[in-house]
Formats: sequence, C-alpha cells, structure tokens
Amino acid sequence: MNELNENTLEVFERFSRRSMVILLFVVAILGGTALALILSPAGAVGRSAARAAWLIPVAIVIAGVATQSSLKGRRWNPASPEVAAIMQDEWRRTNMDRASRFALIVVLAAQWPLGLLIGLLGGVPSVRTAMAMAAASMTLGLMTVIALFLFFGRESRS
Amino acid sequence: MNDEPLRNTIKVERAKRNLTQAELATKAGMTRRSVNAIEAGRMIPSVLLALRIARALDVPVETIFGLDGGPEADRHD
Repeated sequence: MNELNENTLEVFERFSRRSMVILLFVVAILGGTALALILSPAGAVGRSAARAAWLIPVAIVIAGVATQSSLKGRRWNPASPEVAAIMQDEWRRTNMDRASRFALIVVLAAQWPLGLLIGLLGGVPSVRTAMAMAAASMTLGLMTVIALFLFFGRESRS
Repeated sequence: MNDEPLRNTIKVERAKRNLTQAELATKAGMTRRSVNAIEAGRMIPSVLLALRIARALDVPVETIFGLDGGPEADRHD
C-alpha cells in the first residue's frame, strides 16, 4: 500500500476515465456505422462508411496515442501497485456493477421498441433485421454501461 | 444510493492531519475518487476499506464511521 505514488495514481486514474470516454465514442461510431451498413448498405451513410472504412482504425489509433500521451511518460503496467489499486478500487467496481444492472434493464426494455423501429423499415431482409437488432442491442448496452459508469463515478464537490 | 444513516468524519480527521484526499488515498491504497465518494456519503465502504482508512489515519474505525444517533455520534460530532 505504502509504495503507491500519489502523482502516478492520479495520472492513471485520469487516464482510466479518459480511456472510457474515448471508448464510448468508439463504440458509438462503430455501432452506428455497423447499423448503417447492415440496414442500408447501398444508402448514403452505408456508401460513405464503406469508402471511409480505413479511417476507423486510424481514428482509433490516433485516439489511443492521444490518451497514452496523457500518461506523461508513464507506462500502464497491470502489475504496478497504482494500476492494481485503480482496477480493484471499490468505488469503481460499485459503479461498474450499478451501470451493468441499469444497462441490462435498458437493453431488455429497448428490445420491443427497437424491434418495432427496425421492423418498420420496409424491405429489409429478415437476416439483416436480426443482425441490426443484435448490433443495436450491443451498441446500446455498451454505451449505457460506459456512460452510466462515467456518470456514477463523477466527482462531487465536498 | 444508501438509505443507511452512516456518518463519517474522514474530512475532519483529514483536516486535523493536514492531508489531502489524494494523500489519504495513497496511504490507504485506494483512489482519490473513492475518498471523495465516501466523504460525500455517496459510498458506504466495505469493512476492509474502512479499516484501511482508519489505519491510514491512525485512529480506531469507530472514530471515523458510525450510525447517526449512535453513542459514538455524541462523542465525535
């Protein structure tokens, strides 16, 4: 416990939250793109996504490098006591548990409206409809978990 | 989140020792956000974490945590 470095702990904690914010955007972009490609591969969004598909890994790498630079020269080593302290942090785990429970409810509750919405898009083959449902559910679930995790873990002025 | 009237005096004990939340977090092997959440009453720590905080502040755990209206509340409030 005592060998923890205060500054490193703070830097890693900020890094951890920033990574989650970036992950939220990555999931939103990938989920949105996947939905557009599944539902309307020949549509404007689908065509643009197919043309600019190479941009997605590049954007993810740039986001990763940008986040990594916030570590100020330190390495995210899972064996280090600071990283272990963050990963085993009770507040973090509590928030992840709460976010997961809420996300499960959101995903379950969204199935009916999602099915209705996707079903209303006429002319979509049943295989694509099922794939769209899966993509929408996964995107919604992941985004809800991450967003709620960040919300629950926000700092209060005390 | 928690309906239990758990009272804590971490902020007071921290101030007595001139410790920041980050310094206490480092001493107790936890994150500053955890200290912040416990101080603000948004989180009830586990027994293990409560004992670690007490050890970091060098006080008995009942000095820091107690139920509202309990005998320890009269002693420390």
